Amino acid sequence: MSITDLTSMGEPQTEIRKEINDRLCKLQDEISDYCYQCGKCTSGCEAHKLLELEPHKIVALLKRGLIDEMVNSDVIWTCMSCFKCRERCPQKIAPVEVLFALKNMAVASGKQIPGNYTALLQSVLSIGLLQDIKSVTTRDNKTKNRSDIGLPDISKPTDSTKFQMMISKIAIEKV
Amino acid sequence: MKKYGLYPGCVMPTEQYALEKSIREVLQLLDIELVDLKGFSCCGEPLKSVNQMMTITLSARNLAIAEKEGLDLIVPCPMCHLALSDCKRILDTDPSMNQKVNKFLEDEGLKYTGKSNVFHTVEILHNVVGIEKIKEKVKKSLKELKVATHYGCHLFRPSEVGRPVDSENPQEIENILKAIGANPMDYPEKLDCCGGLLNANLPESALTKTGQKLQKVQEQGFDVFIDVCPWCHRQYDTKQKKAGETVAAKLEMPVMYLTQLLGLSFGISEEKIGLDLNLSPVDKLKLGGK
Repeated sequence: MSITDLTSMGEPQTEIRKEINDRLCKLQDEISDYCYQCGKCTSGCEAHKLLELEPHKIVALLKRGLIDEMVNSDVIWTCMSCFKCRERCPQKIAPVEVLFALKNMAVASGKQIPGNYTALLQSVLSIGLLQDIKSVTTRDNKTKNRSDIGLPDISKPTDSTKFQMMISKIAIEKV
Repeated sequence: MKKYGLYPGCVMPTEQYALEKSIREVLQLLDIELVDLKGFSCCGEPLKSVNQMMTITLSARNLAIAEKEGLDLIVPCPMCHLALSDCKRILDTDPSMNQKVNKFLEDEGLKYTGKSNVFHTVEILHNVVGIEKIKEKVKKSLKELKVATHYGCHLFRPSEVGRPVDSENPQEIENILKAIGANPMDYPEKLDCCGGLLNANLPESALTKTGQKLQKVQEQGFDVFIDVCPWCHRQYDTKQKKAGETVAAKLEMPVMYLTQLLGLSFGISEEKIGLDLNLSPVDKLKLGGK
C-alpha cells in the first residue's frame, strides 16, 4: 500500500469528487442566502496580513460557483485553521469549513498535495501517528529520548495490518 | 482519587516530552490518576485538509478505545481535544454518519457509542481539581511574576463545538496562575494564532506568525510566556531562535508549559517537570519572587 494508491493521485476519484461537490453546492446554497460580505472574517483572518487570504472573497467566489478555480489555486492552502472566521461571522457562515471542503476536493481531484502533507499521511498509515518518536536535545546539548525522561512506552495501534486496512478503506470509499 | 485515561495524541508523546512529564507529575500530586491505554492513533485533525472522513473516523476510533475501558479521557493537546469533541458532536447527532464511521471501525473490533467524555488539562485543573486545592499545594509562591498566557486557538474556537473556555475572554489559565501567586496580564495579541499548522506546507510563514507574536510579548515586558499546547510550544519554545531570525528580532523570551510552572510552585524538581528540555532561556527567570 503506497501513498499514491491512497489518494489516487494519478487517477481522479470521481465518486469522491461528486460527493464533495454536492457538499460544496449545499454550502453554496446556504451561503447565498446569508453572507452579505461584511468582511469581518477577513478583518480577523490570521492568514490575511501574511499570505493575502481573504475569506469573504472565498465565500463570494463560492456564491458565484467558481469552485474549480479555487480548487486549483494555492491560496486555499494558506489557511491556518485558527477558526476566527467561523467564530466571529455574524451570519454563522464558516469560511474555514468551505476551505477544508475545497482542499479535500483538490486532493480527491488528483492534484498534488502540497508540502509535507503526503509524509504526514504516510506516517499515520504506517505507524498510526504523525511522526515517530524523536530524540530531543536539552538546553545544555544532551540528547534524550522518551525512556531517559522516565516516560512509559508510547501508545500506537496494536494491529497495524487491520489499522492500515481501515485507513485505505476511508481513502478509497466515499468521503 | 479520580481516574482518567490519558490520550497523548502525536506531538506530545513523540517530542514534547516536557508536557507529558509535567502533566503526569502535577496531576498525580493533585490526586488525579492517569491510566495509559494501548492502541491509540492520531486524532486526525492535522489531516482534515486532506480528508475529513479520515479525521472523524480516527477520532471515533480513539474514543471507542476509551469506551472499551470505561474511562473518560484527559486530552492535553487542544487540537486533539477539538477533533474528539467535534467527532462526538457529529456522531451523537447524525445517525447516518454514526453508522458510516462505525462500519470503518468494525475491522478492529471497535464501536463508538458516545459513552466516554473528553476533558482538557486546563478544565481538569480549573473545574475538577479546583483553585482552592491548587492554592493548598503551593510551596513556593511565584510573586510578581508577570505572565503572558497563550491558550492555543483550538482550545477556545469554535465555540459552536463546545470548547472548555470562552472564545473571546478566556480566564481559566489566569485564575490558575493567580492561585500560585503569579501576576497574569492580558495583552492585545492574546488570542492570536502561533501559525503552527502551516508547518506542513508553509514553514517559513508559520515561523513568521510565531516570531511576530512573541516579539510583541517581549516588547511588553513580560517575564514568562505560558502555553498548554504541544504545537504552539514547539513554535514558541523549541523553534524560538529560528522564529526570531525570521522576523529579524532577538527573541529571549522564557516559554514554559502551564504544568511546568505549576510543578515549580508545588516544589517538584526541575528534572521531574523536564525543564532541561525547554530551549528558550528559562534560566533567566528568577523564580520565588522578590
